[in-house]
Amino acid sequence: MPRPDASRDGFAGEGRWAGFRRVFRLPATRRRLAAEMEAELRFHLEGRIEELMQRGGLGRREAEAEARRRFGDLSDYRQQVREIDDTTYRRRTRMETLDSIGRDIRLALRALRRTPTFTVVSLITLALGIGANSAIFSVIYSVLLAPLPYANGNRVLSLSEKFGANDMSVTYGNYGTWRQTAHSFEVLGAATGSRPLTLTGVGDPTPIAASRVNADYWRAMYIRPVLGRYFAAGDDRVGADPVVVVSYDLWKNRFGADPGIIGRTIILAGQAYQVVGVASPEYILYPPSEKVWVPLAIPAERLQDHKDHELTVYGLVRAGIPLSTAIHEMSNIERSLAAQYPNSYFDDISAKPLSDAVIGGQKMLLYTLFGAVSLVLLIACANVANLLLARATARRAEVAVRGALGASRGRLVQQLVIESMVLGLAGGVLGLAVAWAGVRFLVTSPASIPRLQTTTLNGTVVAFTLVLSTVCALVFGLVPAIRAARFDLQQTLRDGGRESAGSARDGLRGALVVGELCLSQLLLVGAGLLIRSALVVQSVPPGFDARNLLVTNLMPSRQYAGPALESHFQQLDAAIGAVPGVRASGRTSIAPIYGGGYDCAVQREGSNGHDAGAVGANMRSANATYFSTLGVPLLRGRTFDASDVADGAPTAVLTRSLAHSLFGDADPIGKLVTSCIDGASSDHPKWRQVVGVIGDMRAEGLTSDPTPEYYVPSTQWTGNQQMSYVIRGNVPVTTLLPAIRRAVSGVDRNLPLSGAKTMAAAIGDSLALPHFTMLLLIMLGATGLVLAVVGVYGVIGYFVSQRTRELGIRMALGADAGRVKWLVVKQGIVYGFAGVVFGSIASYAATRFLASMLYGVTTHDAVTFGAVAGILVVVAICASYLPARRATRIDPLEALRAG
Amino acid sequence: MADLDLVRGTLDLLILKTLSWGPMHGLAVLRWIEQTTRDQLQIEEGALYPALHRMEQKDWLEAEWGYTDQGRKAKFYRLTPAGRRHLTAELTRWARYTSAIGLVIAARQGPAGAGAG
Repeated sequence: MPRPDASRDGFAGEGRWAGFRRVFRLPATRRRLAAEMEAELRFHLEGRIEELMQRGGLGRREAEAEARRRFGDLSDYRQQVREIDDTTYRRRTRMETLDSIGRDIRLALRALRRTPTFTVVSLITLALGIGANSAIFSVIYSVLLAPLPYANGNRVLSLSEKFGANDMSVTYGNYGTWRQTAHSFEVLGAATGSRPLTLTGVGDPTPIAASRVNADYWRAMYIRPVLGRYFAAGDDRVGADPVVVVSYDLWKNRFGADPGIIGRTIILAGQAYQVVGVASPEYILYPPSEKVWVPLAIPAERLQDHKDHELTVYGLVRAGIPLSTAIHEMSNIERSLAAQYPNSYFDDISAKPLSDAVIGGQKMLLYTLFGAVSLVLLIACANVANLLLARATARRAEVAVRGALGASRGRLVQQLVIESMVLGLAGGVLGLAVAWAGVRFLVTSPASIPRLQTTTLNGTVVAFTLVLSTVCALVFGLVPAIRAARFDLQQTLRDGGRESAGSARDGLRGALVVGELCLSQLLLVGAGLLIRSALVVQSVPPGFDARNLLVTNLMPSRQYAGPALESHFQQLDAAIGAVPGVRASGRTSIAPIYGGGYDCAVQREGSNGHDAGAVGANMRSANATYFSTLGVPLLRGRTFDASDVADGAPTAVLTRSLAHSLFGDADPIGKLVTSCIDGASSDHPKWRQVVGVIGDMRAEGLTSDPTPEYYVPSTQWTGNQQMSYVIRGNVPVTTLLPAIRRAVSGVDRNLPLSGAKTMAAAIGDSLALPHFTMLLLIMLGATGLVLAVVGVYGVIGYFVSQRTRELGIRMALGADAGRVKWLVVKQGIVYGFAGVVFGSIASYAATRFLASMLYGVTTHDAVTFGAVAGILVVVAICASYLPARRATRIDPLEALRAG
Repeated sequence: MADLDLVRGTLDLLILKTLSWGPMHGLAVLRWIEQTTRDQLQIEEGALYPALHRMEQKDWLEAEWGYTDQGRKAKFYRLTPAGRRHLTAELTRWARYTSAIGLVIAARQGPAGAGAG
């Protein structure tokens, strides 16, 4: 078969086609494509015309007409070809861009592999910075940002009463009145705080946290139950058959997730309850996750009580009514109630949207932590930027050559930015691993932060991390990239790639290092203040002897009540006291640190029976051995003893501050007092004789001031089903636990020890949140410091390497090693001082965010500021000393020859 | 000699086959087809170029501007490896197609019972 002529026609061999792609590297514009189309058309027609004239013997005119006729519709042709070319053009441009990015990514990977030290240091730095941010962000997301699970959560108000500046729980009487009179609410649900009930019949007797809630509580706070139902209207009536809703984890752990649990009967505190539902796991905001809800039945007479503040109320505002309207209405109702019932410790309401009530408390802490991790990330970015600057200098020759070979400035910047992006994203991926570990650490926090347990690395967190990595890459990559591309080509090639005395560049590096030191100072001051505060708290005397003291709660079943309950407790007293190794034991209604007592107003005899002379106090009952076991000093009179029997003369013991508030400097012994439990506001209150005064205690935690405390004999007030035992041992008390448990079950087989721990541990738990915050800030501060040290070291080292020649000449001219060292270390000192000055100013402004977490230390504590400043300067000097020593080892001859 | 209309879809096949001999510009492709078919096939010339450009878009063809023997600037098309693969596939398909058609039109016996009822 004959080869077509065209194969020779202008074809110059295969080699030429190898460079084919180059056609598309030319900036293909639409206009050029159109011109090419016309040229192709012209060539075709010309060829035809010539052919027709030569072979067909047509004249020029006829040949043109014939060629056109054969070609067909020109405009049709143009439109078709243009459409095709347009698509091709768009596709090719897209591919070209992707192609060049792909090429740059490969280049970047190769370049990063070539400098492993730089790459590893940068990646670790970024992984720490980004990972810490992602970890804290995931906590913030789960705790603060994730929507509340309640079906109508945005319409729910958490309502409490206000007395002066204090928020109080709601009285039964006021709750009843609210329900009758408030129109803005669909329902007003009520709940009491949680108290344990002993679950028996399922494994060992176990105390389970129990909240009493009414049917309207579930309507206001509705989340679909896992099984069954919540309380119906009849369930919370007095005398209704007892029913219970169990928590998801209780159902799973203790009932093996039995789908047939609905309708089963379980025994709580000796009473049978029928299970009606398994609650959604989302009701659990804090551990413990094993919990029950039992009906809150309010007897009619309690609805007359406008003094006993016990309820938490959740109001579901009617759809369409603004929350502010509902709050306004409640406030009016409350103020008229306050006028109607004076001396009842309320004057207004306090209303918060549910989201604030649930998560508001930890907002400040979490955002403070987020601020701290952001500082670490900034330090990390500054460090990587510095490393990149140093590397860019080392690569000036490479960049210059590429520039000389025709790479445009844009391409060079693109390549360097892509390199930063690769670095940033790789750092981000490693950061996710750090974040994963960080989240695992954070959820073990002993501090009670709502919803903390639900924290996971979800899609949002991953997206946040990737965006953060990209932003970081732009932050640390762009400036060095622009600087690297803005080179003076000839100068660089002439210098052989060494930097000509570029003081401006040193300036930028110096600024970055000073910035790092400044941010480190900020972090360390925060950590330092918390450490100081923790030390102060540790040395605060609790007012009793907390050493080797065991606390445990005991709650006999409800078949014991009144005098029978007290005698049951007395049997337990004897059993526990007889355990070998127990030196002393006593009991009270609730142990100090474990919580405040019963809020109660105490009045002295002779006051007019109302407000004058009334002092708010924590009321607790205690047995005879309690005070001596606790080790609280007796200041006057006596504590309770065997003479304080149930029907004997009513007696009371006061703490010093309560005695002082009531009686001033007068001797209180023998004086008469009355209180809320003795009908203080009635016409015929029961009067108690003060028999003793004891020292003040920090009963609500070491960081709270001592509160006035009021004690009555446990024999004379048996209103508490649960009592706290304090047990002091001759041996470490924790070793006594099994024996105590045996002694207790010897008296009452179904009575578990609940919340048993040492007083020291209880104090530790009460300080868990500040300690945890402190630990985090120390870790972040240390990370920041290490990064800053690396930064100082890197920059000073760079300073030395760039001045090798100068230093060599100085040494050759006889400068001694000390002088050269000083020259280098001086630079470090300047950085250190500058960082400390700026850091102190920044800290001065920023530490107020920590104010709520500090105790006994001001936010501008001079000792902390001074110590941190000292550490930073010393560290900066140390970090510059190593390169300084290297400088003195420069061989002058070598240095000169190299130049 | 009556001109034959091009069966739909075969223009691409003809172009690919022609270019399998080597790179050519559009006019040369046309001439070669005319020459080989002895002018029996009438190709609408205006349809040739959209076909070339479309196949270029599909990466079956590559194009470059070059010079003819007469020193004229022209756009040359060349078969890519993908184009060659496509050509082979199309040739096979075409052979099966024509043989199937051939079997029917060359049949000597009608279907049983046809025309009987």
